[in-house]
Amino acid sequence: MTAATLEPEGAPALPGNNLGRLICLTLFTPVRRQWLPVLSAALWIAKWVPFAQRHILQFNFIHFVRWTVVRELPFAGPREERDRLNYGYLFFESNFDGPWQHYIDAFAYCIPQDIRFVWGRGPAFPYPPPAEPLKKWIAMNSMEGGSYYCAYPESSTRMVMSAVAVKDALGDFVASSADLGPDEFKTRYDQFLSRLQDHL
Amino acid sequence: MGESRDRTGTAYALTVITAISPGQVEEVRKVIEGVPRGVSSPLAKLGTVHTSRLQIFDHLVYQGAPQKRDQLRWDYLVFTAAFDGHDLDPFLDSIVDQIPDEADSWWRHCLAYPGLKDRTAFKKWIRDNQVHTSLFAVASPNRSVPEVLESLALRERLVEFAIANQNQQTSAAELRERFRSAFGGEV
Repeated sequence: MTAATLEPEGAPALPGNNLGRLICLTLFTPVRRQWLPVLSAALWIAKWVPFAQRHILQFNFIHFVRWTVVRELPFAGPREERDRLNYGYLFFESNFDGPWQHYIDAFAYCIPQDIRFVWGRGPAFPYPPPAEPLKKWIAMNSMEGGSYYCAYPESSTRMVMSAVAVKDALGDFVASSADLGPDEFKTRYDQFLSRLQDHL
Repeated sequence: MGESRDRTGTAYALTVITAISPGQVEEVRKVIEGVPRGVSSPLAKLGTVHTSRLQIFDHLVYQGAPQKRDQLRWDYLVFTAAFDGHDLDPFLDSIVDQIPDEADSWWRHCLAYPGLKDRTAFKKWIRDNQVHTSLFAVASPNRSVPEVLESLALRERLVEFAIANQNQQTSAAELRERFRSAFGGEV
């Protein structure tokens, strides 16, 4: 891991966390140990509450996002040689469409309470809004370097979701239009394209 | 909270954190920074990986006062992947079968790594070093990599078809035939 800096918009891509139009942001930040059960419980509940899932994915630039509460680092050597940390840690990884500034702004202004709850259990957290201190904090904590892979790096989240919608609608249309005469087919074809306009 | 937390829809979020043997961190860094990108990536060969990252944690970021500073005794290799699958085992099998040399190149310098020849030992080692996800959210949770790629290609084809056939002089019969020829199999 090198010095943790997220480059400003328009700067050359960092090799370890950028591919095509996708960016991978990894944070590994301390959580006071007394808060670990609360944070774990909240994340557990969020998994099973549909509203929470919709809330998390309200930003249509996130492909995949994960939170992992790490109480202690895995270690395959002798127990007495393991790292003993003062804090638990929250491992966060988000795979999203750049530029990252939009992501952080959305975080800071649209869901500040969520952000405060999840990351505010650690020391020296800059409670948003405003967004600027949060951007600095994220830049400071972004774990850089390494290598990053995505199977469809040139496709934004919106493009993927649109493509999936098109595929489903196309299958339905092909099936439902199989027996139509030419004029009826053309009418239904025009309606089909019209319905899909936002996805094309 | 176990493995069920790693799954959302048909996707599985794997996080593996392995301590790197003393003195080997620069070798691991060289290996992972040299992993081919995009379609040349070994992970592309698996056909099930949506996203993946390999990186090194060689220090923890000090947040400033009032934090008590945490310093790492070990360096760690962190491997994450979001892949298609309900279970970890088939994914680990695919690593052993399809990208053994590549996987070996980035894990071989980690503590107690058993190699890939003993498949059972390798799987146990991965599971011992896995940290289970607390929450995993996915924009399109039930879409596999092949399905996403196919959908993206299909959308492109439909756009091209719509543009090529927007001429008002195309008869309804011609349009229907062209459409069936282009998309008749997409049911």
